[in-house]
Amino acid sequence: MSLVIKRNENETVNGKQIKHSQDISENVMTEEMLLKKGIVTPDDILKLPYITENYLCSPDANVYDIDFVRFKIRDLETGTVLFEIAKPSMPPGPEEGENEADSDDPDPNAGRFVRYQFTPQFLKLKTVGATVEFTVGSRPISNFRMIERHFFRDTLLKSFDFEFGFCIPNSSNTCEHIYHFPTLSSSLVSEMIAHPFETRSDSFYFVDGCLMMHNKADYAYDGGLTK
Amino acid sequence: MGLLTVLKKMKQKEKEIRILMLGLDNAGKTTILKRFNGEPIDTISPTLGFNIKTLEHRGYKLNVWDVGGQKSLRSYWRNYFESTDGLIWVVDGADKRRLHDCGDELHKLLQEERLAGATLLVFANKQDLPGALSAEEIRDVLNLDSIKTHHWIIIKSSAVTSENLLTGVDWLIDDIAARIFTLD
Repeated sequence: MSLVIKRNENETVNGKQIKHSQDISENVMTEEMLLKKGIVTPDDILKLPYITENYLCSPDANVYDIDFVRFKIRDLETGTVLFEIAKPSMPPGPEEGENEADSDDPDPNAGRFVRYQFTPQFLKLKTVGATVEFTVGSRPISNFRMIERHFFRDTLLKSFDFEFGFCIPNSSNTCEHIYHFPTLSSSLVSEMIAHPFETRSDSFYFVDGCLMMHNKADYAYDGGLTK
Repeated sequence: MGLLTVLKKMKQKEKEIRILMLGLDNAGKTTILKRFNGEPIDTISPTLGFNIKTLEHRGYKLNVWDVGGQKSLRSYWRNYFESTDGLIWVVDGADKRRLHDCGDELHKLLQEERLAGATLLVFANKQDLPGALSAEEIRDVLNLDSIKTHHWIIIKSSAVTSENLLTGVDWLIDDIAARIFTLD
């Protein structure tokens, strides 16, 4: 099993001018290939060697009404909650079709992107617990899977693959992954601090093997530093 | 090398253990989970779905699934049986009124083919409450001695004081590890 990626020396970091299709073995997918393909599977995603430039599915692909309502990150060593963001809980409307706010929403990708601003201390953490809370619409989901990939520029820092499996209709669910922070070299850490928002992540969510949601985030670690 | 040996080797490589925690509503499942993970237990509401924790413990990767116990949710429990190595059954030791229901639900689970290979840990929970039944009393009411199909144990516990939570989970892991990971 060989995964050989030959890279052009002068390609740009953000990938827009990358022409690597002929240099890449068949074990690698490009974003362009996936956008043409229509149905995107977990195997496709695992063959992507970079962060994506675009969302690989439309916001409408989320036909199961999966809604992420809370993210939380805590430091297991001290028990401190480092970050928490929750959607204000909306009382359920009496009727369907009352979401008139949606129609004049200017950005269809609002809510698919989060920007995190951390201090350099964040990169020194050892054990971290990351919680997501999500609700599910009125249809049962037989197999829900998440793949999350974190990159600094084109370096894969962490890839995370978890199968939630079945989700109960109208349920509210939480999942906390406790993990050891990946060991990063001190030069990489300095680079990450010096280049805010070039650390980025793609979160892909699949139902029965088809991409349903794609969220993105970027990260800065220079919080509190004087510039 | 038999198929079983191959399977054992595959599992050993990952050392991953899947634990399913069930019981009637309000038994304390989510509180146990949060305690086990070192989270505050002051704001726990009924689970209307699942709570998953993945963590490393003693070199194993534990995936713990806590699924809501309300009556309307119990018919969905079967969707979480697959690949379960350990079953934690949580009993509210102070809820004498529903102890027979509790026993019925447990014995139903034990007939499930997909749970046939799972080790059973019963927590006689809420020992901090006055009037809670002892582990021995619960063992009798739940007729645990009739269980011949699974390795099992009952341990008194309190999610509020953390009493015996780790003891119970460590016993469960030891039993599972001895069955799954121990090689010739």
